[in-house]
Amino acid sequence: MTRRLRRLPGYLFLGFAALASVFPLYYMAVSATNTSQDVLASRLIPGSNLMANFESLVTQQPLWSSVWHSTVIAVSTTVLAVVITSIAGYGFEVYHTRAKDRLMGFLLLAVMIPFAATMIPLFRLFADLGMVNSPLAVILPAISTPFLILLFRQASRSFPREIIEAARLDGLKELAIFARIYLPTMRPTFAAAAVITFMTAWNNFLWPKVILISNEYQTLPILLSNIRAGYVTDYGMLMLAVLIASLPAMVIFLILQRSFAEGITGAIK
Amino acid sequence: MTTFRKFTAGAAVLTLAAALSACSSSSSGGGDDTSGSSSSASGGGTLSVWCWDPNFNIYAMQAAEKIYQQDHPDFSLDITEVSWDDLQTNLTTLAQSNQLDQLPDIFLMQNNAYQKNVVNYPDLFSDYTDSGVDFSQFPDSVVAYSTVDGVNYGLPFDNGTAIQAVRTDILADAGYTVDDFTDITWDQFITLGEDVLAKTGQPMLTGQAGSTDLIMMMLQSAGASLFDDAGNPTITDNDALNAAIDVYTRLVKSGVLVEVNSWDEYINTIVNSNTAGVINGVWISASIQSAPDQSGLWAVTNLPKLDGVAGATNYSANGGSSWAISSNADYALAADFLNSTFAGSTELYDTILPASGALANWIPAGQSAVYAEPQEFYGGQAIYALVVDFATKVPSNNTGVYYYEARDAVGVAITAILNGTDPSAALEEAQQTVEFAMGG
Repeated sequence: MTRRLRRLPGYLFLGFAALASVFPLYYMAVSATNTSQDVLASRLIPGSNLMANFESLVTQQPLWSSVWHSTVIAVSTTVLAVVITSIAGYGFEVYHTRAKDRLMGFLLLAVMIPFAATMIPLFRLFADLGMVNSPLAVILPAISTPFLILLFRQASRSFPREIIEAARLDGLKELAIFARIYLPTMRPTFAAAAVITFMTAWNNFLWPKVILISNEYQTLPILLSNIRAGYVTDYGMLMLAVLIASLPAMVIFLILQRSFAEGITGAIK
Repeated sequence: MTTFRKFTAGAAVLTLAAALSACSSSSSGGGDDTSGSSSSASGGGTLSVWCWDPNFNIYAMQAAEKIYQQDHPDFSLDITEVSWDDLQTNLTTLAQSNQLDQLPDIFLMQNNAYQKNVVNYPDLFSDYTDSGVDFSQFPDSVVAYSTVDGVNYGLPFDNGTAIQAVRTDILADAGYTVDDFTDITWDQFITLGEDVLAKTGQPMLTGQAGSTDLIMMMLQSAGASLFDDAGNPTITDNDALNAAIDVYTRLVKSGVLVEVNSWDEYINTIVNSNTAGVINGVWISASIQSAPDQSGLWAVTNLPKLDGVAGATNYSANGGSSWAISSNADYALAADFLNSTFAGSTELYDTILPASGALANWIPAGQSAVYAEPQEFYGGQAIYALVVDFATKVPSNNTGVYYYEARDAVGVAITAILNGTDPSAALEEAQQTVEFAMGG
């Protein structure tokens, strides 16, 4: 009994922290069902304006095409990035030489440069390639990041070399070792990399905004920005759009939650 | 395990589909060569436009398109919705990377941003010298925003004339009418506001903390600004600014103006009856009217004027925007289109006013019957004709190339002054901040 009592402050604190982190999500969901005026008055109970908000959203904004463009860009980026950086990370660790280690150090330096500094040169590059307004111009710069390569390299460090040696003795080609032994074993790392890349690509705003000049391939974050642009913001509609924009990232995270946690902590089964 | 496998398999299929569709779309996107200049070969022609509000300026552009099509059936517009902040980012990127062929024919620009953009990125603009637009039919103060060295770079669209909107029901509770707040000075306003606060518990105004909108409106009402004619900052040694800061401090300390933390909260105080009045550009009317339960309870009048400042008036402006013709434009078509609609069609302004509240800067439009119609929401007042009349009385001032930098620095100074810093020290620091930003 006393032990339970002693734990009470801890539970209270954790309960409060949990409430504080869930509340914004709750507020977003409830606000999506209220009128703009109710949202401004901080109404905390669900209202009956959900369908009206939805109707304004689909009539005033290209919702479905934006969802489609965001999905295409985020999924392509994720798959390409995971494939490329996992091979790179594996290579840096398994075939490492001093020169490659130095190259890795150089790559990590690139993490320090803020995107704002590289944006104009990057834009010129893609403009010269005739790729302004092309979704490929959004995908390509994101498919290989030093951070993901580092993630895979560090994870590969705990991958037992004996297995690779044994596989080589059994006559397996290098690519087959990667695909049939390394990949299934490192599942949590792949999941973590996928979740991180997908969320970054899904929420990416500045670069798509700059390179997709016409709204032909408008993504969801750009749509959200446009909703707020006018003199009058329909907050109910805005919150519904935010809710829709948040759903895929939440779903992906929930599906890969366990693997994600394992991947981040670097555990291997 | 199986979930993971299914997920990866699904993802792989999706990517393939995605990459295919992305590729096909990019080739079609590349082929269509984006914007404007390749247009008018066909005779009618298409103009590309960047602007940002479907209920307001995009709607106005679409209405203008229909009117121009009456005489030019092959004409069409290709409008891209892009928020102002993003539009500015696009302009900066295109100018700095010298990719001007990506510019649209026409874009909308905030009046306060004109000087900065024209001076820093002159290559973005075509000037209006050969457009045939008669700028004398627009208020001088509005044309001044987009004029650099005597050359026009913008056709005024959105009217930013400042209004004082008051809640007649709350004033009545305190024993006042809107007439008591008309043609007064800020000293009188504070006295009246204190009485309204004591009797009803409501402040006369609300405002976003750290925002300098009200200060800038006070400055322009006296024809003053934060820069002298040579473009040097005059934050220290500026009588109008000192008077405006003095008024603002007294408003906040007396509780006649309540500061809130964000723009959303500011709108909230208006639509949920937590203030007896609002002072802002006439465009705030759209937000006021988003609370239908307050219909009939509002009235509009002019602003209080600064006491003891030379050139002080009861009229000012905040915001507003103008149409720019880009350097990549089909100039002849763009100029003719704008000249026959936004600078020449009463029909256009009569269409867009009731539906979107877009109020004209083009003076002839103000004489139309539509402007003189009583507005039920404002207790039957013909507020639009009133505001068009206000607009002609707004003094011109010099926005300055570093308008936003100066405004932000003054905002910081005001917050410091309200927290007890000596005003002259705070303004001296603001002056230095702006001089530093200007590279001097």
